[in-house]
Amino acid sequence: MGRYVIRRLLQAIPVLLGATILLYCLVFLLPGDPIQALAGEKKADPNIAAILREQYHLNDPLYQRYWYYLSGVLTGDFGTDFTGREVSEIMSETFPVTLRLAGIAFLVEAVVGVVAGVFAALGRGKFLDNLVLLSTLLLVSIPVFVLGNVLQLVLGVQWALVPISYDAEDITTLILPGVVLGSVSLAYIARLTRTSMIETMRSDYVRTATAKGLSRPRVIVRHGLRNALIPIVTYLGVDLGALMGGAIITERIFNIPGIGGTLYQAVYLRQGTTVVSIVTVLVLVYIAANLLVDLLYAVLDPRIRYA
Amino acid sequence: MRGAKSAKWVAGAIVVALAATACGGGGSEGKGGGARQVVMELGEPQNGLIPSNTYESEGSEVMNALFTGLVKYDEKNEAQLDLASSIETKDSKVWTIKLKDGYTFHNGEPVTAQSFADAWNYGANQANTQETNPLYNKIDGYADLNPGEGKKPATDKMKGLKVVDEKTLEVTLTAPFSAFKTMLGFNAFFPLPKAFFKDPKGFETAPIGNGMLKMDGKFVRNQQIKTVKYDKHPEAKQLKIAGVTFKIYSSQDTAYRDLLGGRVDIMDTIPTSAMTTASKDLGDRYIQGTDSGVGYIGFPLKYNKAYAKPEIRKAISQAIDRKAITEKIFVNTRTPADDFINPLVPGYRKGACGPACDYDPAAAKKAFDAAGGLPGNKMELGYNADGGHKEWITAVAGQLEKNLGVTVTVKPFEQFQAILNDLGDKKYSGAFRLAWSMDYPHAENYLRPIFSEDAIEHGSNYSGYVNPQVEKLLDQGDTATTEDAAVKAYQQADDILLKEMPYVPVYFYKLNAGLSKNLKPGVRIDNMTQIDWTTVNPA
Repeated sequence: MGRYVIRRLLQAIPVLLGATILLYCLVFLLPGDPIQALAGEKKADPNIAAILREQYHLNDPLYQRYWYYLSGVLTGDFGTDFTGREVSEIMSETFPVTLRLAGIAFLVEAVVGVVAGVFAALGRGKFLDNLVLLSTLLLVSIPVFVLGNVLQLVLGVQWALVPISYDAEDITTLILPGVVLGSVSLAYIARLTRTSMIETMRSDYVRTATAKGLSRPRVIVRHGLRNALIPIVTYLGVDLGALMGGAIITERIFNIPGIGGTLYQAVYLRQGTTVVSIVTVLVLVYIAANLLVDLLYAVLDPRIRYA
Repeated sequence: MRGAKSAKWVAGAIVVALAATACGGGGSEGKGGGARQVVMELGEPQNGLIPSNTYESEGSEVMNALFTGLVKYDEKNEAQLDLASSIETKDSKVWTIKLKDGYTFHNGEPVTAQSFADAWNYGANQANTQETNPLYNKIDGYADLNPGEGKKPATDKMKGLKVVDEKTLEVTLTAPFSAFKTMLGFNAFFPLPKAFFKDPKGFETAPIGNGMLKMDGKFVRNQQIKTVKYDKHPEAKQLKIAGVTFKIYSSQDTAYRDLLGGRVDIMDTIPTSAMTTASKDLGDRYIQGTDSGVGYIGFPLKYNKAYAKPEIRKAISQAIDRKAITEKIFVNTRTPADDFINPLVPGYRKGACGPACDYDPAAAKKAFDAAGGLPGNKMELGYNADGGHKEWITAVAGQLEKNLGVTVTVKPFEQFQAILNDLGDKKYSGAFRLAWSMDYPHAENYLRPIFSEDAIEHGSNYSGYVNPQVEKLLDQGDTATTEDAAVKAYQQADDILLKEMPYVPVYFYKLNAGLSKNLKPGVRIDNMTQIDWTTVNPA
């Protein structure tokens, strides 16, 4: 298995390299001048702009700039944005916040989604099943910004039950945004669990387990759910990356200073190094999550081996 | 099962790592009793908190809270002495600035003439690439600090700054400039303590100012800037609050909801989505006032001959129904423009533009046809799609089509700089939208940076308009020794511009601000959209 993990990690290198090259080209080929963007609608002073362009190698060809960037990253230096801020500092401030938000969303969708799916599957065709099917349909069809704004207005403004915006000193302010962020995936997971669970509960080994006289909860959890979890874990793995990258709308609504807003701002101001660095880390998260998922298969189904 | 076991291990380690990062939240903080800590909504400042590197509204808001400048702006938007005890000149060229006693930086260092000279020398030096660098260009010796790309300045001091004694600064300008005193209220002209020069990088998150409010902790990016009252400031007694926390929001809609809930006390802009309900939501805590911005439509006069005739530009101006645009599209958050000079600065004349800015489709059509119209009867109207300009530009296009009978194509650019780049490369030959808001409240600031020949290279003269007569009058205004004479000369330049219309003034921006229930109404917001913190009273 060690060899398998190493091979997977080695595979990540060309992926990362390809992603950064592509991103670098895309960001820096965008029309617009990052130095002028800093000055807003006022014209940047030509002298100062020229000095800044020199300072940030903006006059050099793209491949050369990419090389400067890459060699910096290899030594652990992500460079600075065009206002002189260290990109690593920007990332160390924003990533933990988004990670917390995504973590809460992940927890909500995994726990609530799986539990709802299991109950729906067990009581197939009954009231609970219909309730789960209907409510998940509703969740899937409401866009995140509508759900976020409505919940914020109703729970936060009208009923004043929860704070509207993020407060660094109070981590509970992340719960509502976490629920909003996880809501769509929650619906998918509930439905996925339901289908998968119905499938496994019909299989021979479940019947055998029941015939052996095992208790009902043990049959459901150890024999049914465990096998039903494989497609769900796959989905959750991919979704962790998507949650971090997709937090942009939720972060804006609830004023969470995470990577979503930073990325938006960086694209807007043509802060190329910031964009490339953040997205590269996101790619890393995707790769790690996928590796984790593949390794988890073996936990769920011992027949799966890695070579 | 071996595989399964080690997989469990890996999974476990990652879960632990995730949990560890989730536990990094800081401790809580008790609310102090007595005077209230006021919370103000702020957008993320672009740069670190250095006065000379702050050229946008959000950072300026903080700079003005942390620093006291030489002058401040009063109710009539005129420059009044603040830290200066006198600012005198005989010829508008050599200025003697004397400082009041008793002012100190937040680290105890006294504010001296040297503090100002050092700060301005730092800001003007190209090696420091400060955003407000061009604002020092009136001072003698500025050129020495800006020799150009690839060259190193031979000196780091402007020869026009002379520290006579601890409390006297003598400033010599390259040429007479009557508006210099007014300029001094802008944050680029704030003083800096010695500690700054030892560690400019550290200063960016923990600035040491000389104002009524001082930093409490560091600037937490994208979250907050907390300040508390600085008791040793000579005028600190006027403050009725404990301090100001600038809470940083990425969405104004969220901030507005927090304003209604009382978690934010002051917003100096009301989001467009709340514009129609704000007066009902806020009652007498809804503040409406003038704002320094002007919105224009400009023409690429430098290389497109189609717009060369002033009659054509005037006809376009007359064919625009400004009232409909400001009332219907901007829900009264703008007012129709009738001058190039904004109403809030001395020198504005109501209706200065005359009939050229009045909506008169019949006259417009007649003049337009008489002047020969536009080639191919086509017109292009460019705007940047990132700033909410689509609606009004489309409306203007519709009005021009209807009233002048031309075919107008509306052309979106992703950012305003894209228009500038295309204009620079002569790739774009259409008309375009643009706007200006002032650096300091003076009639001069609405003319020279936009319409002078020098502004083609160093300012916002994107149309490339040049008129020797205007240049002469601007110089005359600059060299005037009395404020009245200066304003008169600028108005004469303004008159020529209004006849020639290199830009068409369309609307003036309006200030829309709001207070929460926690504050009493009556907060004063000056013409630079800076809160006068001495007027903030807890309810």
